[in-house]
Amino acid sequence: MGGSLLKPAILIGIVYVILKFVVPNIPGSAPLPSSLIFLYLMLTTTGIVIFATLSGESKDAFWNPIQRFMTGENIGGLQALRYAVLIVFPLLVGWQTYGSTATSDAPPAENRTIHPAPPGEYTGLSNPVAKTPENIMQGKGFYAAFCSPCHGGKFDGKGPAARGFNPPPANFSDPTTIAMLQESYLFWRIKKGGVGLPIEGMPWKSAMPRWEVELPDEWIWKIILGEYDGAHQSPRTWE
Amino acid sequence: MKPANQMRQWVVRGGAAVAAVLFLGGATMSMAQESVSVSAPMVKGALPVDDPNAAAWNTAKPATFPMSPQVHWPNRIQEVTVKDLTVRALHDGTQVAILLEYADPTQDPDDAAALQFMVGDKKAHFAHGQPMAQVEGGPVNIWYWKNKDDKAVDMNAQGFGTLKIQPHQDVKAKGAYANGTWKVVFSRPLGTEHAAEDTQIVPGGFINISFAVWDGRKDGAGDIVEKGSQKAVSSWWYFRAEAPPDYSAYYYAAFAAALALGFQFVLIRKLKKGQAA
Repeated sequence: MGGSLLKPAILIGIVYVILKFVVPNIPGSAPLPSSLIFLYLMLTTTGIVIFATLSGESKDAFWNPIQRFMTGENIGGLQALRYAVLIVFPLLVGWQTYGSTATSDAPPAENRTIHPAPPGEYTGLSNPVAKTPENIMQGKGFYAAFCSPCHGGKFDGKGPAARGFNPPPANFSDPTTIAMLQESYLFWRIKKGGVGLPIEGMPWKSAMPRWEVELPDEWIWKIILGEYDGAHQSPRTWE
Repeated sequence: MKPANQMRQWVVRGGAAVAAVLFLGGATMSMAQESVSVSAPMVKGALPVDDPNAAAWNTAKPATFPMSPQVHWPNRIQEVTVKDLTVRALHDGTQVAILLEYADPTQDPDDAAALQFMVGDKKAHFAHGQPMAQVEGGPVNIWYWKNKDDKAVDMNAQGFGTLKIQPHQDVKAKGAYANGTWKVVFSRPLGTEHAAEDTQIVPGGFINISFAVWDGRKDGAGDIVEKGSQKAVSSWWYFRAEAPPDYSAYYYAAFAAALALGFQFVLIRKLKKGQAA
């Protein structure tokens, strides 16, 4: 067994380590799906094979060790490894086949859109209530009475009534919730509640009440002021 | 030690380490997962429809779901007694039995529990099938049990205030209270003749299920604290009556492995012939 196979093996190993462990840690990046990693490794392998078979000599240098390993001629102590490969390969094929044909015990996957588009009439509304300390204070009072049981006194989605609900109540202190949304979006979600969501938002699962039947619009706008202030977030604007 | 031997040892040790990491990783991942589904295994012999304490229940895997006070409907409640509910289920190919188990410090005549299912293909809101603004919802089928009657009531609703008792009652229920714990068994044929009102359970298929519990205790003034829409509820989860065992995947796997083995055999023969030539 020459070093001609060692180098490609090391190269594939390095590519795998980079894709699996280095890329996800680059700021702004995310873990790659295994199918994509597999695709990259296949591309790397294809590249190596093309490179190794460019000339007659390099082709022989590349294939001969593989051929010798497969046939088991003059490979000495690697004979045991050869047998292991010959046994493990059919088992892997069998395992893969089982995995793709066995009936799954997993319930159907659910792809819920957390912030679906609001109906047209709720886009771009501006808060008619002035952002004064009194209004914010009043909004926080309404929030404590109506919203905090689920969304939490600390605006973190961990109110005493939250634990049984799936999807969980929104965490307003998380920068990916109300900080990404306009005030008019919150007005729609509070007024129409979970049952007001479009189909991609899975309205049948949301516990959010339809507050329009209980609270006047002005209170809802005040609650929005109190929510942003209490969660230390600002609404998204177009400026 | 010969270099080849050394390499062989590395390969074996490395392989064992990788296998151990994969195994442990998989084990912890499956342990950390919360219940999302109730699975009812198929059993031979009679279902324990009248006995919440039967040994047969031990063959069913328990699933535990968190409970919340009902807040969606204005007549809400902010605190409830029951915080978690454990569910087990069994079926025998014709009937299904579902066991609810939960802690309740006092046994009261008005203690009650219910199961809720979607009916048909339409999605139904988990709060009694409340109407949805942008989605046409369907009805829910509710199986309700109350301690003082100790029987099931089979009902339908499509929105709060529309609860109706069905003319055909297919569900049975039996409760047993001991040591601060309620155990309630609901049972029904898997399928019924009333597909527009009753949930239909087909082994192998997932359906939606949710739960409700009322602690029937009274407050200082003698009023029942948890009643009507003032109750503990769960979100929608999944329920499945397991299909009879299907071994076809094992056959396919064995066939594929045999094919791979044959391929190896032919390839090596071919290579050896080439080398000899």
